[in-house]
Amino acid sequence: MHQERYRAPVTRSAAQTPGGVSVELRGVSKRYGGGATAFIGVDNISLAIAPGDFCVLVGPSGCGKTTTLKMVNRLIEPTSGQIFIDGQDISTLDAVELRRRIGYVIQQVGLFPHQTIAENVATVPRLLGWDSERIRRRVEELLSLVGLDPGVVRRRYPTQLSGGERQRVGVARALAAEPPLMLMDEPFGAVDPIVRGRLQDEFLRLHAQLGMTVMFVTHDIDEAIKLGTTVAVFSEGGCLAQHAPPSRLLASPASDYVARFVGSDRVIKRLALISLADVALELGAGPQGAPTLARTSNLRDALSTLLSTRADAVTVVGEDGVAIGAISMERIRMALDDVARSWPENEASSEGPAGRTH
Amino acid sequence: MHSTGFLGLNGPRAPDPMTFAAAVLAWIADPAHWVGFDGIPTRVGEHLTMSVTALALSLAIALPVGLALGHTGKGGAVAINIANVGRALPSLALIALALPVAFGLGLGLGFWPTMFALVPLGLPPIITNTYVALRSIDPDLIEAARGMGMREWDLLRRVEIPVAAPVIIAGVRNAAVAIVATATLGAIVASGGLGRYIVDGLARQDQARLFVGAVLVALLAIGAELALALFERLVVPVGIRHAARAPDTWSAPR
Repeated sequence: MHQERYRAPVTRSAAQTPGGVSVELRGVSKRYGGGATAFIGVDNISLAIAPGDFCVLVGPSGCGKTTTLKMVNRLIEPTSGQIFIDGQDISTLDAVELRRRIGYVIQQVGLFPHQTIAENVATVPRLLGWDSERIRRRVEELLSLVGLDPGVVRRRYPTQLSGGERQRVGVARALAAEPPLMLMDEPFGAVDPIVRGRLQDEFLRLHAQLGMTVMFVTHDIDEAIKLGTTVAVFSEGGCLAQHAPPSRLLASPASDYVARFVGSDRVIKRLALISLADVALELGAGPQGAPTLARTSNLRDALSTLLSTRADAVTVVGEDGVAIGAISMERIRMALDDVARSWPENEASSEGPAGRTH
Repeated sequence: MHSTGFLGLNGPRAPDPMTFAAAVLAWIADPAHWVGFDGIPTRVGEHLTMSVTALALSLAIALPVGLALGHTGKGGAVAINIANVGRALPSLALIALALPVAFGLGLGLGFWPTMFALVPLGLPPIITNTYVALRSIDPDLIEAARGMGMREWDLLRRVEIPVAAPVIIAGVRNAAVAIVATATLGAIVASGGLGRYIVDGLARQDQARLFVGAVLVALLAIGAELALALFERLVVPVGIRHAARAPDTWSAPR
């Protein structure tokens, strides 16, 4: 399960993403009302998302992250600023045509109760006028893709499924027309933690496989760090506090606000993002009788092992079980410093998709 | 007092139940009551024609209005209040008012003045139910539909109407029953229908005729209700029926 979280960057790079598009917000604001009673939903946000990126918008409730998401598919029109998808200013496009090319998943799923699961999944293809045979094949494919048995669920109605199953159908429905961009508004917020973890892992796999660009809203910083190749932290009043890969967000929060938001255990969270495969190990096996860990494990696992076994070092083994080095408390500290040093201070806050793992 | 009746008029004689039942059966069994312009089939046919036409006119006016208001969410309270005036107006008064209008327009006696009384009766339940049904659809459903790129017409046709169907049809059922029952009034403006038996029965003190008319009106109203219940079963999507039947534990997040 952990391998899922700490996969090598290459599987999530833009290089093998045929479908992803870039998204750019330029000085986007949304104000409601005017004069003294004006309410600022989103305050002058600029955000650049590379093709194939998984950008998580995170922040407390009412900070404008959902509003930002809905401006990208024009369910809400910005008061000022521009939004570009694949270089096109979306205000010049037909809103309905635009939405048909963007996958949209909401927390409450919004499956149509009067339609079977197959009909629900076929919504956008039908709007696009696909022929019925193509729709039928696509529905089967999608249901399998999200881990449902088409033979079992196809003819069921939404009320006959569990919450987790319904959310999978919601994802399948959003993916139906192979959108190069997916907007997801707390999609896994209403399911229990175990199902949520599984849905997250499966969605990461789908993202690696399909390579679309994703904008994902959550208020859960752990979910943001687990899923995002970049994380955009919003603060109250609709401001963007920081946009950076998770590892950088944790290592160098741009402000006290971000530091508080990511939590006082941010070092521990950072450790979980660093794979043993990516750190400089001590040469040779650890001391006699030292505990061992696979190189696909992360620094957090290593620290945990060191603390629980009271050993001085952990032997790291490759896939074949042969020792490739050892890691001690000192090496863990060095690895954290290395990662922090690898970012020039003046680097733009939004980075490429590979920024997730260092 | 008891011998002269209320206000000194002779009240209807309380008939012996057995004699009365025999009289009613005899009236029904009389072949003369099954043929001609005053026969049961003709009167039932007239009653149905008036009712179906009035319901169709009500639907033609109320459905578009209710759907438009419910879809946009604007002006609903105003429209419902105006529609409810139709409920408050006495149908008898409407028929009386309609007479000179219908004559003026050259529409004559009978049918059209009756429509003038029946249609306002059919409008309120259909407009109100349609509006309320559309407004009470889960907003997430609407947002998901719009977010996937449904145009307003797609949204109405593919989502709002099917989901709202049970409540809309319940409104149509109310309208139908009210119209069938009130179509009886058509008789007083020479529009025929089963009201004829009731009006004539009262005038001629022919209680068997009056009774048969009243029972037939009641049966037609029940028939309309049943027919629309059947229609509802046929058109309401299975998933909605599942949803209506399923307890909340099914829809709660798991």
